[in-house]
Amino acid sequence: MNLTNKKIRIAVQKRGRLQEPSLKFLETLGLKIRKNGSKLIAACSNADVEILFVRNSDIPQYVKYGVADYGILGENVLVEKRCKLKILQRLGFGKCSLVIAVPRKSKIKSVKDLSEERIATSYTNTLKKFLKEKGVNASMIEIKGSVEICPSLNMSDAICDITQTGSALKENDLRIVEEIMNSEAVLVESPFSKLLTKSE
Amino acid sequence: MKKIEPKILKGTRDFSPLQMAKRNLVMDKIRQIFKQFGYDAIETPILNPAETILGKYGEEGDRMTYNFEDAGGRKLALPFDLTVPFARFFGANWRDLPIPFKRYQIQRVWRAEKPQKGRLREFYQCDIDIIGTRSLIAEAEIARVIVSVFEELDLKFKIKINSRRLMNTILKNFDIPQENLIKVIRVIDKILKIGEEEIVEKLKELGIKEPKKILQLLKPEKTNAQTLKKFAKLDLKEIDEFLTRCDEMGIDKKYLEFDPSLARGLDYYTGIIYEVVSEDADFGTLCAGGRYDNLCELFCDEYFSGVGVAFGFERIMILLEDLGKLEDVTLNSKVLVTLFDEDSIKDSLKIYRILSESSVPCEVYFEPEKLGKQFKYADKKQIPFVVIRGPEEREKEEVTIKFMTSGKQKTIPLNQLTDYLSNYYESNK
Repeated sequence: MNLTNKKIRIAVQKRGRLQEPSLKFLETLGLKIRKNGSKLIAACSNADVEILFVRNSDIPQYVKYGVADYGILGENVLVEKRCKLKILQRLGFGKCSLVIAVPRKSKIKSVKDLSEERIATSYTNTLKKFLKEKGVNASMIEIKGSVEICPSLNMSDAICDITQTGSALKENDLRIVEEIMNSEAVLVESPFSKLLTKSE
Repeated sequence: MKKIEPKILKGTRDFSPLQMAKRNLVMDKIRQIFKQFGYDAIETPILNPAETILGKYGEEGDRMTYNFEDAGGRKLALPFDLTVPFARFFGANWRDLPIPFKRYQIQRVWRAEKPQKGRLREFYQCDIDIIGTRSLIAEAEIARVIVSVFEELDLKFKIKINSRRLMNTILKNFDIPQENLIKVIRVIDKILKIGEEEIVEKLKELGIKEPKKILQLLKPEKTNAQTLKKFAKLDLKEIDEFLTRCDEMGIDKKYLEFDPSLARGLDYYTGIIYEVVSEDADFGTLCAGGRYDNLCELFCDEYFSGVGVAFGFERIMILLEDLGKLEDVTLNSKVLVTLFDEDSIKDSLKIYRILSESSVPCEVYFEPEKLGKQFKYADKKQIPFVVIRGPEEREKEEVTIKFMTSGKQKTIPLNQLTDYLSNYYESNK
């Protein structure tokens, strides 16, 4: 039997703000992770567990297919990817909010005022769902990063992005119109998790 | 000059652009599902030699079949349904077709009936059939297609299913002579239409001694398992296997109701039969069909078993309209590029060209008339966006979009126009 197949795999962020607290959390569970430079798979010295370092937005995919048995990621990513994975635990770190923000001097005061406006975002699915709930028609501009710069370049009238401290918004002279969701890091389980199969 | 009255025949219809937009939307959805399950389209002629249509639907069917003699003295008939033309097509072409053969067919059919509400002389049917296999996987696949179609149309529904074989066995246990079997089945088939008491009377007329007992036995219980239990002594292999295959194909159990009283009047069914009823409204049958053996025997020597259903397109349309599910359907054009004045024609046509090269359906107004008149045209055609490019916009390389539903206007850089429109999210769609 292939030994590697027996190992439990946990996917965590390759780089970004969630990586460090994710590893810390795993250590509190008793895992001794042997991080090996920039290698994408790290073994544990005291358990049949492997840590998989992958892109934040790819974690849902790995867990969905069962390539990783578990994953640690921001809930906002889970919602955006419309992945219905089982959340085992909310982890209390990586807290942020997905908000709609506009230039400080904009005439847009409320969600209703967003109708027919241009909204730049990396979270098109979540934004669509929000607009549907509010009955607002608007044009969406999909931007992968640095969304907060769009209004000043007349690319958009508003943005929909995540914020933790609000400092990036302030720097770009943006104010929050509405909070769409609060998010934190979560531990998710694959429907094909090896532990799950064993216990059944 | 005397004008001709622009009339049409009773029981036939003209369809306006908006009606056609709705019909096409629904038909495209149905067609898309058929295609997704690997059914290919065929089409058969409207004009047929009479003998290929007549005599296949019983006396009443013949009376309701349009048939006439053409100028060359040939006897012709119009299709009464799509099943018989399909059987003829298959009988003529089976050697060249992949077998089992799966086809879909969406065409008009004609009935020489007295027109009344819901009964037309000319209407559409949407059929799927699988011919050339006896496997119950085929029955389950048909059920799968039915579920996908009605889920896609966002209708609440139930598929009533039964086995004609089982019904025959049950009735035989009541000592009903073979020659009366079909008559009895036809009476039971009317249970929803004429009610229980009348059924009992009619069954008595056919010499049935215990009509109430039959009906009691044939009534479905709360769950399929409970209904099946009533017939535990009989051979339930067919129904059992069919339900298992449906389950394996991922059909939600809530959609299937085993109803031993379901009969489907047509004589040619031999196995599993289906009838789809709406759960939104008391509305009769939306789709029906079943397993038939040797439907092609009239047209060829080979033996082929098949299974298929017909979707009642016109009834589905009425139901969707009644439930208000087609209210948001609009006509095709999404953008009207206006002509501000004679001098702006060249520039507006450039915008029109940019838009027509994108995926947004658009059109240009033909004359530089007052904007108000152009807006009225957009309004009448339900065009949601009107693009205006006046001197001011021209100078700044911008365009103004007028939103016809809200009346709001928005000016954006010209080079963002196509992206703005193609990424416009309508929250009610």
